[in-house]
Amino acid sequence: MIGAIALHESRRLRAGMMFWLLLAFGQLIIAWLSFAQLETFAGIAPQLKASGATLGAMDLVITPTFNSLVLLLLLCAPLLAMGSLAGEVHSGRIALWLSSPVSGTQIVLGKALGLWLATLPLLLSGVLTLAALGFAADLDWPRFALAATSLLLFGLWLGCITLFLSSLFDHPAAALAASYGILLFLWLLDSLSGTDAPWYWFALLPHIEPSLSGLLRSQDIVFFVATAGAALLLSSYALARRRGDA
Amino acid sequence: MKPLLLARQVSYGPARNPRLIDIDLQLAAGDRLALLGTNGAGKSTLLQLLAGILAPAGGEVRVLGQRLDEAAPALRRHIGFLPQRVPAYTELSVTENLQWAGRLRGLRQRALQTAIERVLQALQLDKVRARLAGSLSQGMLQRLGLAQAVLHEPDILILDEPTAGLDPLQTEQIRELLGTLSANCSLILATHLLDDVQRLCDRVILLDGGRKAAEHTVTADTDLLAHFRRPMSDAGAGA
Repeated sequence: MIGAIALHESRRLRAGMMFWLLLAFGQLIIAWLSFAQLETFAGIAPQLKASGATLGAMDLVITPTFNSLVLLLLLCAPLLAMGSLAGEVHSGRIALWLSSPVSGTQIVLGKALGLWLATLPLLLSGVLTLAALGFAADLDWPRFALAATSLLLFGLWLGCITLFLSSLFDHPAAALAASYGILLFLWLLDSLSGTDAPWYWFALLPHIEPSLSGLLRSQDIVFFVATAGAALLLSSYALARRRGDA
Repeated sequence: MKPLLLARQVSYGPARNPRLIDIDLQLAAGDRLALLGTNGAGKSTLLQLLAGILAPAGGEVRVLGQRLDEAAPALRRHIGFLPQRVPAYTELSVTENLQWAGRLRGLRQRALQTAIERVLQALQLDKVRARLAGSLSQGMLQRLGLAQAVLHEPDILILDEPTAGLDPLQTEQIRELLGTLSANCSLILATHLLDDVQRLCDRVILLDGGRKAAEHTVTADTDLLAHFRRPMSDAGAGA
């Protein structure tokens, strides 16, 4: 049933205008960023070669564009997720879900996966655009694969977090505002606090940037798994509270 | 024989300001029960408790003898529920809405397709099957909601003001459809309209301030308006 819910959620999002606008906007931004980075790289490539530097297209084109994709996802995911649970409540369709023989956990897992499926076209188009550089430049493919996988999994993490924030509100606009507020806070947290601050662990960039550069660290895996798991548990709890069970 | 649906001492809401207090209700196969009451009497809340959408703060709801709660979600398959606002996705077509309602209730592939064709015919939605739900008239949308509720052939059909907001012609059409649809299941219906009760139900429970004020059988010559005006003084009396 989780798979069916995921497919329905993705289908519902694809039936709306927002999805296609975000996809078109995303494609435009990715193409522009890629070509801008590529132009810069092409301009300095002879000097790099002459100086014997080891920096290549992976460091100067792919990684910066992947970093920009993260920011793009942070902007797009809340727009897709705002209606996931808050929209169901606002429209009264939550009655259809809660009167069906489906558990709250199945609903939450299915919707989180559905949000991820909806962000996949945007992510894959970005990854494929950058992978196309492999025809013209030497790419470090294992690093590229790790960065691309990290980005895809980051999309899943975002689905979990934004779904949780959507579960807290009765109106999609409130869920959107909360999502942008929380994600912006996590995005800026590392620059707002020193590395010794206890809340530094929650800063987003120090966890995502290493894997986009090709460095897989256990502390980052723990961060993403723990926060996504907590978000899913809290979403289930919020749904149970809505029913009056918790 | 176990009742199809049983509510025993059901309460809902915070203890200081409960929305429902100690409601007892029983529904046997073939029963047609109406809930009547003023705005805020607790009709919709009671229906949501009976449909398993809300969990009672006190007491219990049983379907076929089993307690209806999160631990037994499969019991909700026996229930078809139409809330006041039709739970349709406006951006999806009528058929897509029905496909999803059926999937949610456990119908698969061939059985789902057969069920969709059956309700499209029964509720005269065949001609608008490809239209987006958002473009339907209120009457058609209400039919779609009914189709979602009866798609899986539930034993208990729970309807929250199914004729609210409809014009007289649409109201009459929905009443006729309800008469046909409820022939194969038990019916619980919340309404403000005494005509709905008289035409569709054989029993009525009057709710007042979250309490069960009275219960009457309904016949052609039952003076529902009189009962409605003085529910508290009639508590427990028959028609």
